[in-house]
Amino acid sequence: MASNSIRERIGIDKIGPIARRYFVSNGFDGALTGVGITVGAYLSGVPDGFTVIKIGLGGAVGLTTSGVWSVWEIERAEMQAELHDIEEAMLTDLSETQVERDKTSTQVVNALMSGLGPLVGLLLPLIPFLFEGAPLSLFQATLLSVAVTVGVLFTFGAYMSMISRQRWYIAGIRMGLAGIVVAVISIFLPG
Amino acid sequence: MAQIRRLVVDVLKPHEPPVLAFTQQVGDAESIAGINATLLELDKEVQNVKLTIEGEAIDYDAIEALIEDAGGTIHSVDQVVCGEYIVENAPTPQD
Repeated sequence: MASNSIRERIGIDKIGPIARRYFVSNGFDGALTGVGITVGAYLSGVPDGFTVIKIGLGGAVGLTTSGVWSVWEIERAEMQAELHDIEEAMLTDLSETQVERDKTSTQVVNALMSGLGPLVGLLLPLIPFLFEGAPLSLFQATLLSVAVTVGVLFTFGAYMSMISRQRWYIAGIRMGLAGIVVAVISIFLPG
Repeated sequence: MAQIRRLVVDVLKPHEPPVLAFTQQVGDAESIAGINATLLELDKEVQNVKLTIEGEAIDYDAIEALIEDAGGTIHSVDQVVCGEYIVENAPTPQD
């Protein structure tokens, strides 16, 4: 099938359910951290949008590195355990075979998807702050940022509904709601 | 030396790559004209597959290397047919 061939060519077929989970789970973390940062920064009285972007980028670097690093180590341990089980059953060494290469490529894809999630989840909500000053005030940029985050979360939910075959807008709303909840909590936090 | 025309080997392999991809990969060997993979046994971690390979001049070493690269091992060579044409196993009274 043509669609399958395109998926294979760009490597999407290698993105398995575990990579999807890492992407959405860490993307969720990134997006909600983004809301906390942007709303918190605005309420703390930051002078301009650029400062919010700098704070947000710091968070993005931390979460992305954490996503890639932790999953790389977790998957490495899991891969070695699985390989060891198969080697025990086969009574042979599987180093440098396709089995090992496939597991390593799964490890790479999972780690990258785990890092990509928070990067997308955190960077997109920072975009409105690029326009702070000229067309948007800091308050408007913050509001737009929360809206973008809710949109990102909605997209994550809608995407997951394609797998679970739920109604996409229900799944999207369930995820998107989290962005609003975090924004409201951030507003009422002391200080 | 006489050319190998048919080879039947007993292979132990992990579940991944699946039998379909595994057979296609081994079948890509230049010396193979046709290949049949039959699943004999399915275990928790491994599969036992019988490979029947035919060709004009089968290169055993190349096939063994392809099988091992795919994570499999040849447990036994169960049938070898060499020569100008394929000679089938002749039934004898003992059979």
